[in-house]
Amino acid sequence: MSDALAELLRHPALWQGGVGGEMPAAIPSGFRRLDECLPGGGWPLSTLVELLIPAAGIGEIHLLLPALRQLALASPGEPRWIAWLAPPHLPYAPALADAGLDPARMLVIRPRAGLDLLWAMEQALRSGACTAVLGWIGAADNRALRRLKLAAEEGRSPGFLFRPAAHREESSPAALRLVLAAHDDGLDVEILKSRGGMPSRIDRLSIH
Amino acid sequence: MLEGRPATRAPAPESHRRALAVVPPAMPPAADGERRELWLAAHFPRLPLHALLPATASARAAVVTAENDPRRGIVACNERAARQGIVAGMGLNAALALVPGLRVEERRPVAEAALLDRIARWALRFTPVVSIEPPCTVLAEVRGSLDLFGGAMALCRRALSGLHDGGLQAALALAPTPRGALWLARADLGLSVTQAKAMPDIASRLPLSCLQWPAETVTVLTALGIRNVADLLRLPRAGFVARFGPRLLDELDAGVGRRPEPRRRHIVPERFDEQHELPVETDAVPMLQPALERLLANLAAFLRLRASGIAGLRVDLLHRARAPTRIRIGLVRPAGDAAHLSGLVAERLARERLPAAVTAIRLRSGVLLPLSLRDAGLFERGQSADPEATARLLDRLRARLGQDAVFGVCPVPEHRPERAWRIAEPGGTTPLPGQWPVTRPERPLWMLVEPQRFDSWEGTLVTGPERIETGWWDGHDVRRDYYVALTRSGVRLWLFRERPPGSGWFLHGVFG
Repeated sequence: MSDALAELLRHPALWQGGVGGEMPAAIPSGFRRLDECLPGGGWPLSTLVELLIPAAGIGEIHLLLPALRQLALASPGEPRWIAWLAPPHLPYAPALADAGLDPARMLVIRPRAGLDLLWAMEQALRSGACTAVLGWIGAADNRALRRLKLAAEEGRSPGFLFRPAAHREESSPAALRLVLAAHDDGLDVEILKSRGGMPSRIDRLSIH
Repeated sequence: MLEGRPATRAPAPESHRRALAVVPPAMPPAADGERRELWLAAHFPRLPLHALLPATASARAAVVTAENDPRRGIVACNERAARQGIVAGMGLNAALALVPGLRVEERRPVAEAALLDRIARWALRFTPVVSIEPPCTVLAEVRGSLDLFGGAMALCRRALSGLHDGGLQAALALAPTPRGALWLARADLGLSVTQAKAMPDIASRLPLSCLQWPAETVTVLTALGIRNVADLLRLPRAGFVARFGPRLLDELDAGVGRRPEPRRRHIVPERFDEQHELPVETDAVPMLQPALERLLANLAAFLRLRASGIAGLRVDLLHRARAPTRIRIGLVRPAGDAAHLSGLVAERLARERLPAAVTAIRLRSGVLLPLSLRDAGLFERGQSADPEATARLLDRLRARLGQDAVFGVCPVPEHRPERAWRIAEPGGTTPLPGQWPVTRPERPLWMLVEPQRFDSWEGTLVTGPERIETGWWDGHDVRRDYYVALTRSGVRLWLFRERPPGSGWFLHGVFG
């Protein structure tokens, strides 16, 4: 089978009779070096991914952009949301459009209280109405995170949690935990925990 | 075209022949007067005024002006203003010159439509067949009700006094055809026709203005020397259609009774409205749940029977000796599912603080809307394939977090970065990429709502400057040089300096 055909068959939008229409377990991140280090060859779907960042804005969204684009394309039927929960700033619609994401599918949720935030993220994950849920959550106990993970599995939506790097030593039920660090010419990605994979690190991943 | 050549003989030009094809055969007038309909028309020349001002506000001269009109022409005025010489059609300046202390309101078509709708509902007490003729007339077929109300005159008197009690000034007229009644009411001659055979004769005496035809048509007709309906009826039919179109001829025929005119009936929309008395007064929200569940189940059954959904819902919690607590719930998309509605109500109730014990619960639905039903796919599994899921998520989030906490974003074709987007209802449509400004350098994914002063930063400028100088025409002009900067901690920022330089750095976005 040629490479092109194999690639086509891997596309999540393609339903193959007999396979049962199951969602693939992972979606390519769009960065070859990162994919090689992740089990399943990309971001795991239907679960929780934790990204630990020293400061907002070091390139964490650019790291997700190729996957978000793919997920939006792969979503069959009714267009679904990409939910942004309590983002540090407002997502800028022209930049989203330039990046190939339809701004009309963005759902920005800014709850006032912290408890509402966890509740809203759980609802968004569980509803199955989101192609991806991005949440900026600071402190959260293990139980709350476990609930989010269960909700993601139930709604079969990937949840991306952005948390300060200070939380790296805490235990977490997320299937994948990455620590990001900024560099002049890219991101240092440290894989802290990876279900079915090995901890490893990728230096200077070029994301722009 | 108005020469009246017999249509069968002439080798007419193509356009003419097409026009002839649509000329309907004129029905002979009902000879015996046995037409069984009698229409009552109520015309409200001062509806724009009634819709805005209460009837009690008659102590001062008041006028309503046309909306979106630079001249602000007057469309209606009250009795006092009329006595001081103000007439409809006058410019506002002329009116103010006549009456300096004039009260002026701008016309609100929405309020007028709502008032007309209320009047139509009220008219349903006389007959089930009521029809609205926008902008300001209500028609009712009353033949069957005449005996009940003691004859045509008694019925008219009763209607007039009812309208008068409501503070409305109306002109009433009876005619065997709805259009004829409309014309007579507009003419306001106090004239009524009950016999069908008398209709053409009376109608033909009416002036052109009763027809309320488009101004340019009236101008042409006046230039032809046509003053009233009789003149119009004398025009050759084929030529009339060729010149003014078939619709106006149909109106003319309908008015004099040569052609039936079916009217759209005004139907009061159905709503669900049920009240449930609680066995025990309580101020604990969980105790309300069983009664609420029962009401919602009734509502869902009510909706299922009608294959309808609702987009809004009101729950009134009634208290003893106190105004009820009202909870309004809006839905993104019509729904009729008990579980979904009950989830929304529970979310909202949980946030509500009850001021007193609740004695009863009343559930009131909004207008019923058709529900789009959909078969489940053969191969689809799980709830991720549910097309209602996106709307439901939005409903649920808004029920708990509030309307403003959940929103979408929309790009706007505009060069000023802070105006190139706006907050929008989620799921709206995005302008096509073709409407964007030309290709531009990369924009940051995060934007600050307001640019912030950002003087002491450490790092390097990566690219720039991108000069944005625009917006001088609306007072929010920007003259800025934008740079992409990389800070020591590795964050890529979008900074600008005002031009001419000197005022320091501002942070506008983060590339993320």
